[in-house]
Amino acid sequence: MRQRFGRKTKTTARTLSLLAVMCLVAAEQTIAQPQITVSGNITMSITTGVAGGLPTPAVNTTITLSYRRQNAISKITVGTSCPGQSFTLKVLATSVTDGTGAPEVNLVNGMPATDFITNIPVKVNPGAKTCTLQYTASATFAQGNSTEDGDDVHTVTYTILAQ
Amino acid sequence: MRPKKVSVLESLRLLGYIHSLFNHHFPTPNRGLHKLRTFRRFFVASLALGCAAKGQTYGSGSHTVTVQVSQVTVVQVSSGTVNLTISGASAVAGQNSMTVTDLSTSFLWGTNVSQRKVTVQTNLASPIFTLKLLAVSPTQGTAGPEVTLSTIAQDFLTNIAKSSGSTQLRYTGVALASQGTGSDAHTITYTVTVQ
Repeated sequence: MRQRFGRKTKTTARTLSLLAVMCLVAAEQTIAQPQITVSGNITMSITTGVAGGLPTPAVNTTITLSYRRQNAISKITVGTSCPGQSFTLKVLATSVTDGTGAPEVNLVNGMPATDFITNIPVKVNPGAKTCTLQYTASATFAQGNSTEDGDDVHTVTYTILAQ
Repeated sequence: MRPKKVSVLESLRLLGYIHSLFNHHFPTPNRGLHKLRTFRRFFVASLALGCAAKGQTYGSGSHTVTVQVSQVTVVQVSSGTVNLTISGASAVAGQNSMTVTDLSTSFLWGTNVSQRKVTVQTNLASPIFTLKLLAVSPTQGTAGPEVTLSTIAQDFLTNIAKSSGSTQLRYTGVALASQGTGSDAHTITYTVTVQ
């Protein structure tokens, strides 16, 4: 009786150990390649406006965010650093292949990381998933211009983490 | 950002140690109990690792987005044409001066450049009659006094700063009986300029 109990325990432990090793190996593989990348830097220009209204917003949809599924359900957050920010910048995930895009996020200097894409399913294949980043830059006339106040330079950071 | 993970090497050492515990032959009759305790420890450790995975960061990526706003100044007049007609109806017996007023149009602007004002002028160098203009109830800035339009730019609206807004335009045509009849066609230019 005692011997049978011991063998069973040993088998369970060995199975768990094997699973743990497999998970760690898989995790190490994921470290080897970037889990999330942004395709490039952009400059957005507001050059015209409406009398009695607002400057015309600039929209950019040229940037792709690529990310990989993980071993657990995960999400992507977004944050920005832009000291001395003058103007408004918003971002929206469109054409999301995996996960659920959040509503448009207003990027404000020093903001806490905000959910951008949630419910990214667990990994079933190693291929990268993508979405298009739709940036919208806007301003009011009262907010001035870059010649007098300088450009807004945002370092926008996307982070993928377990949900 | 570097993911928060236990290295594979460290993990394998830990697992090797656990395996060695299971494979060790204990001389006491409590060998099964010892294995059970060891398994319990392993299970608790697994749970702890599982909890640590919650909120685990897998990676991050950044890029730069630069927002440039040009110096933008735009103006608009609500209607292209204003007609002022002085007829017998506006004449008063015994008075030389006859006037007519129009409030049907508005001026709109937007500028993101500091220290700005609006001036006004006409292209008609020698009009027969007099044409006056006043900004009525501007939403931003300070209305200047009523101006008699000439080819020289005159202040119409001051202190608009960086703003957008509108004001009603009050045109007043003045004719003297002694000036007779005729018509003047003005092209009026509004300019946002440095104050």
